[in-house]
Amino acid sequence: MSEKSKQAAKSKSKKTSSYVPIDSPIDRLHPMIKIYAIFCLGIGCAVFPFLWLAYSVVVFLFFVAWKAKMLTKFAGFITAFAIPITVMLLFIQGLYSPKNVTILADFGFAKLGLEGVLYTFKTVGTLLVFLGSFYLMTTTTYPGKLVTAMQDAGLNPKAGYLVLASLNVVPQIQRRIAVIQEAQTARGVEVTGKLKTRFTAFLPIIGPTVMSSLIDVQERGMTLEIRGFGAKGVKPSSLTELNVSPAEKAIKRVLVTFLILCIAFAFSWAIFTRVR
Amino acid sequence: MPAVIQVENLSFRYAEAKKYALKDLNFSVEQNEFLCIIGANGSGKSTLCNALMGLIPSYFSGKMKGKVTIMGETTSETTIGNLSKKIGLVFQNPFNQLSYTTSTVEEELAYGLCNMGVPRDEMARRVKEIAKIIRVEKLLKKNPLELSGGQVQRVAIGSALIMKPSVLVLDECTTQLDPLGSEEVFDIVKDLNKDGVTVVMADHDMERVARCADRVLVMSDGEIIALDTPRAVFENEELSKHGVDMPDYIRFGIALREEKLYEGLSPLTETEAIIIGKELVSL
Repeated sequence: MSEKSKQAAKSKSKKTSSYVPIDSPIDRLHPMIKIYAIFCLGIGCAVFPFLWLAYSVVVFLFFVAWKAKMLTKFAGFITAFAIPITVMLLFIQGLYSPKNVTILADFGFAKLGLEGVLYTFKTVGTLLVFLGSFYLMTTTTYPGKLVTAMQDAGLNPKAGYLVLASLNVVPQIQRRIAVIQEAQTARGVEVTGKLKTRFTAFLPIIGPTVMSSLIDVQERGMTLEIRGFGAKGVKPSSLTELNVSPAEKAIKRVLVTFLILCIAFAFSWAIFTRVR
Repeated sequence: MPAVIQVENLSFRYAEAKKYALKDLNFSVEQNEFLCIIGANGSGKSTLCNALMGLIPSYFSGKMKGKVTIMGETTSETTIGNLSKKIGLVFQNPFNQLSYTTSTVEEELAYGLCNMGVPRDEMARRVKEIAKIIRVEKLLKKNPLELSGGQVQRVAIGSALIMKPSVLVLDECTTQLDPLGSEEVFDIVKDLNKDGVTVVMADHDMERVARCADRVLVMSDGEIIALDTPRAVFENEELSKHGVDMPDYIRFGIALREEKLYEGLSPLTETEAIIIGKELVSL
């Protein structure tokens, strides 16, 4: 195992969430504003009848990622998601959608339809808005702050824990895998290099990872109970203090207005097309 | 001295197990006492610790007989959340004590207080106070997972202590630490006991048990074999039959008596052994 991959495994083994602590205006933004952004931008793009809006928002998200000093990671995430899902949907919808009327290309075994292609790009665009904004939220929001903000907004503490646990689950599995891989390396098993070598090393890890995760659930439950989680008749408090600034209130208003305008336009467009 | 822990006719058998893990235990622990539980692996130490914390019967399913009372409250009739205000448990593996929902040591320490709805100012004050006791003031902004085993163990003890329990139960909490880290943790526990916290500690280090415990409870196969002062317990040579080692200083005293070089009580600590050694040299 190279020094670089050892360090990567070590850093993975110590991370508890997807959060990347980089000081930026996006990092400092109130978590609830980020949640509003996910829903308002996502739903807005989903209901809006034209696909340009979703892609405009994706471009805007790239700008946000740049402000959050996360541009490279964000670009990597978007690319990794967009390419396979677009290819897959193009194959399914573009070639076999029953709505296909305008034929763009004839491959003999199937015909590529404009309606299916447009539907694909609309769906991919909306998904990119949802996932991209969610990715930015999780990487720029300190988990403790997120749950405090959600609980301040009335979220049940048990649901709050569920949110935190969900955010932590992937990094924790990565951490466990890194620990097992370190142990394997120490015993002379090669875990890096060719895809086949990596796959052979990865396969035996699945069992122990799943088993230890199950054991963890039991132990975690016990820990939480002895630490007063779910105590009856108590409103949980938080060590983190969160205040919404006037600028954040303004952002929230802009987001809600965006959503209302999108819904209104979608509604009007639906009536207009029906009348026409 | 009033009894803070009262165990009466306690027996417990895990679901699907044939044998009872605890068999008709009867004992009490007085306020501010330091009780050490010793015994071979599988003798029932951890099960007893879990029973004291109320995890048995609330969490572990099985057949329980008898009762455990913590400061007047019967564990089977209350919730673990309520008990956690009176009694704190530190697990064998400190990483099991972490909530895994926090990113800094101060948040980890405050986690229990958050669940109890303690106001922010009070919480911050208690975090500061506990951090000083467990010596993690400089680590408060660090991720708990970036700490060494000894440091995580201290955070685990701190997370139990911050709830201000009157009783602290430690289940072999130093087994994963190096001797230095282990001593560090033990020093903290001793200081807490001096400050009035009742301590029940399962441990394997007989020298340490002999040095610190007010009383020693010896378990074997789910039963109490002995419950007495460290000297009375460790002077009993039958102890090794139950898989319990005798502290070296006691061995030293017994060897001296066998050689007819010394007639007094066996030393329990290094200091006592040195005094005896000096006496023998001066003769």
